Amino acid sequence: MGAIVPYPPPRARQEWTAYLGMVIFLGSWAMMFGSLFFAYGMVRARATAWPPPDLPELPLALPGVNTAVLAASSVMLQLAVRWLRVGKTRWVGPGLAASLALGTLFLCLQMVTWRRLLDEGLTPSGGPYPSVFYALTCFHALHVLVGIGALAWLCRGAFVGKYSAARFLPVRLWAMYWHFVGAVWGVMFVTVYVV
Amino acid sequence: MDSTARLIKQVTALLAAALAMTASGIAGAVPKPESGMGLPRDVSEHGHHIDWLIEVTMVFVVILFVIMVIWMVWACFAHDEKHAAEYDHGDSKHSVKTALALSAVIFFVVDGNLFYNSTTDTFRLFWNHDALETDAKAVRIEVNAHQWAWDARYAGPDGKFNTKDDVITLNDIRVPVGAPVLLQLVSPDVIHSFYLPNLRVKQDAMPGMTNRLWFQAKETGDFDIGCAQHCGVHHYKMKGMLTVLPPDEFKNWLNEQSAIATRGYDPKDTEAHWGWEWRARN
Amino acid sequence: MELQHIHPEPTSFLRKHLFSTDHKVIAKQFLWAGLLFLAFGGGLAMLIRWQWAFPGEPVPVVGSMLFQQSGGAITPAHYNTIFTMHGLIMIFFAITPIMIGAFGNFCIPLMIGARDMAFPLLNMLSFWTFLVSQGLIIASFFVQLGSAAAGWTTYAPLSTNVGTPGAGQTLVVAAVFVTGVATIMGGINYVTTVVRLRAPGMTYMRMPATVWGLWLTAILNVLFVPVLGSAALLLLLDRSFGTQFYIAGSSAVRGGGDPILFQHLFWIFGHPEVYILILPPWGFVTDLVSFFARKPAYWYKGSVMAMTGVTVLSAVVYGHHMFVTGMNPLLGQSFMTLTLIISVPAELLFLNWLHTIWKGSIRLTAPMLFALGTVFVFGLGGLTGLFLGTISTDLYLHDTMFVVGHFHLTMAAAAFLASFAAIYFWFPKMFGRNMNQTLAKWHFWFSVIFITLVFCGQLVAGYGGHQRRLYDPYQYTFLQHMQPLNRWTSYFGFILAASQVTFVVNWFQSIFAGSKAEQNPWEIGTLEWTVPSPPVHHNFDVIPTVHRGPHEYANPEVKKALGRDWIGQSEELPKSGKAPAEPAAAAS
Ligand code: HEA
Ligand code: HEA
Ligand code: CUA
Ligand SMILES: [Cu+2]
Repeated sequence: MGAIVPYPPPRARQEWTAYLGMVIFLGSWAMMFGSLFFAYGMVRARATAWPPPDLPELPLALPGVNTAVLAASSVMLQLAVRWLRVGKTRWVGPGLAASLALGTLFLCLQMVTWRRLLDEGLTPSGGPYPSVFYALTCFHALHVLVGIGALAWLCRGAFVGKYSAARFLPVRLWAMYWHFVGAVWGVMFVTVYVV
Repeated sequence: MDSTARLIKQVTALLAAALAMTASGIAGAVPKPESGMGLPRDVSEHGHHIDWLIEVTMVFVVILFVIMVIWMVWACFAHDEKHAAEYDHGDSKHSVKTALALSAVIFFVVDGNLFYNSTTDTFRLFWNHDALETDAKAVRIEVNAHQWAWDARYAGPDGKFNTKDDVITLNDIRVPVGAPVLLQLVSPDVIHSFYLPNLRVKQDAMPGMTNRLWFQAKETGDFDIGCAQHCGVHHYKMKGMLTVLPPDEFKNWLNEQSAIATRGYDPKDTEAHWGWEWRARN
Repeated sequence: MELQHIHPEPTSFLRKHLFSTDHKVIAKQFLWAGLLFLAFGGGLAMLIRWQWAFPGEPVPVVGSMLFQQSGGAITPAHYNTIFTMHGLIMIFFAITPIMIGAFGNFCIPLMIGARDMAFPLLNMLSFWTFLVSQGLIIASFFVQLGSAAAGWTTYAPLSTNVGTPGAGQTLVVAAVFVTGVATIMGGINYVTTVVRLRAPGMTYMRMPATVWGLWLTAILNVLFVPVLGSAALLLLLDRSFGTQFYIAGSSAVRGGGDPILFQHLFWIFGHPEVYILILPPWGFVTDLVSFFARKPAYWYKGSVMAMTGVTVLSAVVYGHHMFVTGMNPLLGQSFMTLTLIISVPAELLFLNWLHTIWKGSIRLTAPMLFALGTVFVFGLGGLTGLFLGTISTDLYLHDTMFVVGHFHLTMAAAAFLASFAAIYFWFPKMFGRNMNQTLAKWHFWFSVIFITLVFCGQLVAGYGGHQRRLYDPYQYTFLQHMQPLNRWTSYFGFILAASQVTFVVNWFQSIFAGSKAEQNPWEIGTLEWTVPSPPVHHNFDVIPTVHRGPHEYANPEVKKALGRDWIGQSEELPKSGKAPAEPAAAAS
């Protein structure tokens, strides 16, 4: 038996592998959210009135603002990735921090929305309409929470100088995740709140 | 191959004989037990379409299976380790064509037959509820399936459901022989499935939906009504009895029951008012 | 994620055997976990069969322990738990970990020439997540009101608090969710590994069919397990937070949630799931019949296309489980048509297998026997699927034992036998020891004969109209004459279970005292046989270069050059016709 030959693939190759893993994961998760939307569609299709006349209506303004907040957070994160790639390493920490702050703001505003609706008497057990609303938004918020944790971790790394143009994979991967969460929110905003 | 087809014919014939034998002594208080290892006896006007399709497909399937087994066993004996293997990747044009052609033949014969007959039977008969909605002869029954019993409701002489003269029965559905019977099925709790083995029909009772089912008996007698969908602890006990009566006997029974029901009608007993206005179309 | 680097072998016991990221170790962990639950699920099956043979009579030996309150007899509530958990355990916690967890992990990297999975850490997490779900399953038996009882299909509203109160059902639904997460983690890993880590020259059309089967399975897992996940999630919400996804309003007034919604979600997942459980066996069988007929797999490309076709079609036939729910007739018609079409690729596969063994030089080793047994039972099971696929016949057969017989033959019998084919085939590579071939053959004959008898017994009962999930079938007059049949079926089942001792003995004996396995005991050309048994930690000292497909047997050129009927995938065929001085990787 000959000598053990390491087979270090080029960096790009590894990155592709990691991206592919992430893409598959997000595709899989898209099926999960897709099924939730399918459930929403079916429940709504058989309801006689949507929203039911005796229940408070969902607000539009606050979630609308929130959509912008989450979008801005995504943009900041994408900028951070770009700065990392072009070597503006100094900017990365603040960029990530901004993204993190906006993400947190999103979650806070979301909590305000829930609080108000609960006060108005929209409880999860009040029928299919609130069921859909709370299940979809809470499940999404859970994903935002995970994203916030990840952003905080990335932020810490960025401020201690862990990332550079040569080592930006974690930032890139979490950015993919974060954009996905944002996109799901977009669909949710349109289907749950608007139409 | 031929002999298997013959065997199946024999089994079917035996079944038919058993069927005739049991059919001659009907009208006991309990359903007649079945015997033999085949389909339970068919007392419906249209069940033979299903039976025929099942049996014909069974013949096809047995033939295919026997060919497959013979092929395998033959290969194992004739081409064992003493036989030199042939070097053939099976991807020559000829091989590919053969494989495709063989699968196509199996598909068009076996699946094609199934497809054609099932489609015609389903749309002409078994799922053709709409035709019956307009059929004046059809007997209409509302069935409320619940844990773990079948409540049935007949409209009574006024022809309207959920009124004073409705006949309500428990686990006891009576129908006239030779007339189509149309059921609307609901469930207030979990899913049940209304199943008449001797009439080859089955339909789920879904909470939140009104499902339909129809059948037409061609013999009088008592038959099991089964619940086919797991519905909780006593699913196995959710059994009813279908009694097929001569038409006049059925009429008498219905009138008699309706009179009793009208006399005993209690407007405050809301539990008993589970019926609904007949829904012409879902 | 230094993918193809060589990780130093861990030295601590914990990292080496417990929290290992080595795909070979994880494979063994899955195998053990799966086999233990297979025994568990098999035990539950025996209780079902006891009840149908001797309804309401105390169960011998274990009864007094398990069913104290009822004097050792199974009660209706127990019975519901037993068949529910039998189905769930067998599918999610026994067959899935054995075929996909164990052999997916073991075979994929070795057969494509990789040093490990693409994401070794994720791989380890997948196993531990799976173990948590098994823990939840076990825990569910010890809570008040016992474990889940709403059937493996968990149809709502029976599975909501309306029909099944108690923490047991909740724990089981949670376990299904958690095992789903584990499966997705595994799936991401397998798909990525196959796409990215194939050795040079290992094109898709040179991959062993086993890898194809496992890869397609992983794709289906990644796509459809999340659908089950969301079904389970909404069910958990309905159970724990009072939402109303599946709970319909009162029947007479439409409104509220929708019980059909659950069935849609369940079967959108559920039908692909059944192919998830058959694609790996198809892969194993396609390879094994070629390996042991010492003949190239007949129209390998066709088999691959057929498997891919089934994978695609599997997503669009699920409605055939819902023919009697009150489905729109035209929708029903479309599902019926697609269901019939899905039988074409299956027929093609069968023809290819049959052509492969024809004119071969068949060695009836234990793995080959089990592979042929798989073909036999799957043929029977697949053909019975046709009766269920058409609406009018399904009106009669739906929810009868005919369905149960159908899926036991396709899923239980085929996957069961194929799992053992895989175990007997790769055991030497996995553990570095040989299994006892005589015992293995005994195991085969007992298994194949009695498994066929048991499941044909189910088919015959179903043909007579016998519903499934009946605590006491003989309540029904039209089923009373089936008691002798059911009793015989049960006896066959007991023999089947007892005969598994031949495996258990062989397993333990071989693991601890089997003779040392050679590197390539079966004389097979795929890559895993070019490394020692068991393989070293990093699998391949040199990543091999692949020159040909996996089924190069009986090639006259090879025979002339090397004097044997096979050639490794990475072996170079000497041009001159002389034997090479040092056969590259294959024969070291
Ligand atoms: C591994 C699992 C598996 C596989 C592979 C299949 C394969 C198939 N299944 Fe099955 N099925 C299940 C597992 C499986 N099934 C389960 C678990 C259920 C029930 C779940 C429940 O309700 O609890 C079920 C239920 C089920 C139903 C619903 C029944 C009902 O509830 O009423 C239907 C209906 O269409 C169906 C159809 C089919 C068809 C058409 C195939 C086809 O893919 C089969 C294709 C194969 C062939 C057609 C055979 C090949 C050809 C030959 C052998 C001929 C060879 C001979 C020569 C060449 C000479 N299945
Ligand atoms: C792949 C899945 C699988 C497998 C392998 C089996 C295997 C068996 N099944 Fe099961 N079954 C299902 C999946 C499976 N089943 C499902 C999904 C249902 C539907 C549930 C529902 O309705 O909700 C069902 C339902 C079901 C019923 C119908 C219950 C009812 O409707 O009321 C019956 C009845 O006979 C039955 C019997 C059997 C028998 C006798 C076996 C035998 O083959 C079992 C033999 C196996 C053993 C005895 C185990 C041997 C152990 C080893 C070899 C391991 C050795 C261990 C070590 C070395 C550590 N099963
Ligand atoms: Cu009602 Cu089963
Ligand atoms: Cu299916």
